Order: sequence, then C-alpha cells, then structure tokens
Amino acid sequence: MKVIGEGLSCSSKKEILGELVYVKTVEDVIELFDCAHGKICLVDDAGITTLGPILSELTGTICTTGGAGSHLAIISREFGLPCIMGTKFHVEDMSILIGKQVQIKYDGDNNGLIYLIED
Amino acid sequence: MRKLTHNSYFSFLGEYPPNIKLLGGKGMNLFKLYDNGIRIPPCFILNSRAYIEAIDRLHISEKLESLFSRSSPHKDVVNFANCIKTEINNYKFPKECVTELKQALIRVQENLGSKIFFAVRSSANIEDQVQFSFAGQAESFLFNKTLAEIVESIKNCWASLFSPQNLLSLLKNKQRGIELPTINMSVIIQEMIDSEMAGVLFTINVLNNNANQMLINSNWGLCETITNSSVIPDLIILDKNEFKVIESKVGDKEIRRVKNPNGPFTITVKNKPEIKNRLCLQLEQLLKLHHLGLNLENVFNYPQDIEWAFKDDILYTLQSRPITNLSLNK
Repeated sequence: MKVIGEGLSCSSKKEILGELVYVKTVEDVIELFDCAHGKICLVDDAGITTLGPILSELTGTICTTGGAGSHLAIISREFGLPCIMGTKFHVEDMSILIGKQVQIKYDGDNNGLIYLIED
Repeated sequence: MRKLTHNSYFSFLGEYPPNIKLLGGKGMNLFKLYDNGIRIPPCFILNSRAYIEAIDRLHISEKLESLFSRSSPHKDVVNFANCIKTEINNYKFPKECVTELKQALIRVQENLGSKIFFAVRSSANIEDQVQFSFAGQAESFLFNKTLAEIVESIKNCWASLFSPQNLLSLLKNKQRGIELPTINMSVIIQEMIDSEMAGVLFTINVLNNNANQMLINSNWGLCETITNSSVIPDLIILDKNEFKVIESKVGDKEIRRVKNPNGPFTITVKNKPEIKNRLCLQLEQLLKLHHLGLNLENVFNYPQDIEWAFKDDILYTLQSRPITNLSLNK
C-alpha cells in the first residue's frame, strides 16, 4: 500500500476505507444522490458546499485546497466525517485514482495520509 | 430613537432585541455583538417579513411540494431551481418596503458618507445554531452600491436558498423522515469592509478539540477565499490562556478576492510571491484576535467560529457563530 497524498486532517481521526469519487458539479451530486453510501469524495475547488445533500452518507471528504476554516471542514465536523483539506497528491494523473479504493490514516498530530489499495 | 414594530420591514442595530425568527441566526448574533460593544461593520436587516410575503405570493411552498411528489425529483432540481430563481428575480418588492430601504440607506450614508459599499448577506433562521450551522448554504453578495444592485442582491440571497444543492438537501432530509423547521430568511445589509486581510478564528483548536488553544486561518483580501476553500490559508495556533504563538504555517495562498474595480461584486487576483510566501498576520494583529476570541467566548458563553477582517489596522468582526458538534471532533 502506498501513500498517494497527504493533507491537513480537519475533523474526525477515524481510519476509513472507501471508493474515491470525484465531484465537480451539482450534476455529479445528482448522479451520486442514491448511491453515495460508503464513498470518499474528492473535490478541488470552491464548489464544495455542493456536497451537502450526500454528506451524511459519505465515508469521508478530501479537498485539494482549503483549511480548517473552510465550510466543507465545518460541515464535515458536524457529521463527524473524516475530512482532509489542502491535500497534495503525489501522482501526476489524478484520473487513474477515481473509482479506486483508498484508505485514510493519520500520522503526527493532524497529518492525514491517503493510501491507494492496490488491485 | 425610532420605535420598531413587527410591521417594519427593516430592523436597526440597538433598536431591537436579538430575535432569531425576525433577524435570522447571523443577524441575531450581529445584533448581540453590537449590544456588547464589539466592533462590527454597521448594518441593518431586511427582516423575515419581506421573505415570508414573497414566498407566499410566489406560492413557492406549493411548488416545492409538487416537485417532491414527483417520481425522481432529484433529477429535476436544476430546472426547478432555475424557475424559482427567475420568479424571485422578477418579484416586485412592495412599495412600502422599497421606501423603507431608501430611507435606511440614506440614514446609513448620513453617518458613513455616500462613498460606502454594501455587503448583502443571507441570514436564515436555521443558520449558525449550535446543532447545525448550515454553513455556506445560502450566499452573500459583496460590494453593492446602488439601490438597484442591493435589491437584486437581496433577491439573489433569497433565491440561493433554493439552489439545486439545497433542494437536494431538503429532499434527502425528507426521504430520511427529517422535516426541517420552516425556513425564514432575513438579509443583512452591511457596510462592506474592503479588507487588507481576513479570515476565520476558532476559539478552540478544532483540529484536535484542544480548548486551551485557538486556531486562525488567514489570507490577503476578503474572507471568502478561506470559507469557500479556494486557497490553502495560513494556519496559526495560539495558546488561549496566555497569549503565545504555538504554531504558524504559511499557506499557499495562490489567490485573493478583491473588489471588482469595474462594477459590483468581487474578482480574483493572484497573490505575488512576496506576499504569498509570508504570513498575513503580525504579532500585534494576532494579539488583537486573541483578545477578540476571549471576549466573544465570554459574550456567547460558548466556543465561537468567528469571521474577521482587518482594514487600516482596525479589526472588524464580520460574524460569530457557535462551533458546531464539538463532541464529535475527537
């Protein structure tokens, strides 16, 4: 298992495992509306409040920017949902990660580590 | 002093007791801050009466019910949201309301001069509560100048409640058997602070729930880049009991939001390397924030999530709300 990204853990420190899905638009949320359960959602910009409707069913959230004061971090904390903000990925082509199983673990105080579960 | 009754569309600072139904969560907290002598940008509030009348006249509740009774309502939310937005944008404000708004603007400009801009900010009754912050679900519109711009932004605040994502949230709650309380929306019309730097202050360290620490996120420009995750902000952890910087980390801060030089609202500009690569806040400013944090925790008697702004070295509190669900963040 290798670390593919790391960022600031801004909510629950629960270790989690789930399928990585990428959400950019409200249409993506509509797609996930009935099947968000157990998924870990990746977002990369200001569209984050879009996740509201499915947040209670997700397993975790990952954002490539932001910090503890972001609305996504605040609402993730409300749901007790692990949330990694300001995440830097060590892979060049992010698209290969979508649909893969990833695991979130922690090291140090608030460092969230994202692992790719190899097929 | 003007005597206010429920028949007025507008509520003014210091002239009305904080009341969530009339002023919304954010508005109620601003009134409370003002009553406690905290420096906030001057504001007045279009209370929920105007919203309730508009929603009633446009039959929005009935339309929502009809949407939710369809077989796959989640597939129709984008179209539905567009229709509601058009209807709200075409809504004609009652004459009396427009007259009161004009008078209120004149009153503010008599005190602050005619050059000021206004932020038009949503304040729903379900926002900013201990149980559920509804953070960022309704929108704000910054740097409005004319009466027409303000009226348009008020309507956009109302319409933002019926965005596709909020409709999906309502639907999801309905499916899970949770009926949300009736939503009332008030709108805050507030002097726009064209801040040099801004951010968020939590009076506990929300990363590890340490109540002996405070956490600050900051960026140059306006506060919105922090709350909507468009940058990795500076991160500063303070000792709460005795002012001391425990940790400070310079964030990427690629961009900032500033006033649109050519009209209302804001634009994004890049932060140059010389400001991007250093902390926005100096020790003296951190000291002011530390003091504010202690003060507001006292006022509300509960840990607070505070949005703040610095302009000409003056610290303004833009809003304060309880830190939600503390117990879960362990």
